[in-house]
Amino acid sequence: MPQWVKEDMGASLALDCDVELMLRVKDGDGASFALLLDKYRVSVTHFLYRMVQDQPVAEELAQEVFLRVYKSRETYEPAAKFTTWLYRIATHLALNWLRDKKNERGQERLDEVAEDGPVRELPDRAPSVEQRMVHRVKVDEVRRAVAALPAKQRAAVLMHKYDEMEYSQIAKILSCSESAVKSLLFRAYETLRVRLAHMA
Amino acid sequence: MDCPIKTQENREWLLDYSAGRLDHQHAVMVERHMEACPDCTRFVAEQRVVWEALGQWEPQEISPDFNRRLYQRIDQAKPASWLRLLWRPLVPVAATCLLLVAGVALHTPTAPPRVESVEPEQVERTLDDLQMLRELALTPPEEAKTSQPM
Repeated sequence: MPQWVKEDMGASLALDCDVELMLRVKDGDGASFALLLDKYRVSVTHFLYRMVQDQPVAEELAQEVFLRVYKSRETYEPAAKFTTWLYRIATHLALNWLRDKKNERGQERLDEVAEDGPVRELPDRAPSVEQRMVHRVKVDEVRRAVAALPAKQRAAVLMHKYDEMEYSQIAKILSCSESAVKSLLFRAYETLRVRLAHMA
Repeated sequence: MDCPIKTQENREWLLDYSAGRLDHQHAVMVERHMEACPDCTRFVAEQRVVWEALGQWEPQEISPDFNRRLYQRIDQAKPASWLRLLWRPLVPVAATCLLLVAGVALHTPTAPPRVESVEPEQVERTLDDLQMLRELALTPPEEAKTSQPM
């Protein structure tokens, strides 16, 4: 890593091995790109799936995320954590897709598309048909409740819950203040608490 | 500790406590506060329901050919960038050529339209042919059959 990068970056960034890998990608190391892809392919695709609730679209968007990472390798500058940059691209693509989708067909269509997709079953030991049905109904309710959230609130909840991100990182990804993220999350969870209260 | 719900301060402690992510020191403070605060107790109970419900939503498996498709797209993107670099200086040249061709085409004198003359012999021959066809059509079938070559 060049000396100026170490000087410019904070201690946490200097320790970010993903940044190190990305700088190697910048120098033309394809193996480092493969490592980053293997490390984040699943989490990015899952985040996008929960955002758009359509598996083929989520995979398409995830491919676009990594394609953009690869294409911008030459101009990459480690100004933030690698995951912040990665999720900023992913969130940007997801929000754009949701906006275009909303303009095209309205929010109802999103529910219809998602309904067609199979719901993954619990991996526990041979659940009965009734248990599977109950689980399916519950997951469907959760999915609908999340889909009903405004896109930015949805992104914040997904990063907070599933990617276990700090408020500060979510703020950087969504380009807003930390207190704005906390407000977003509180409003989102408030809505979810009302919608999912009967699942207690 | 002031009530996070009433004062709006440190509200995230309640979220983090519900998620089991709050550090020990703050968790103890929240627990002590909840002993005397039914609002925060209810908040945490309801938030835990949401947390568990969200936990049940597992995503779908990713296609096994994800990487292959991605690398295919990366490969496709490579020549495109080379082509773009190659074509960039050629675009003004191509535009100039197109303008020149268009200019030449506009200034080329066009030939006068050809008017086909109809000769009187040709009209006569056509009338004769029509007369012959009419006669053949009036001929009885037997005669027509015998007159046909074998």
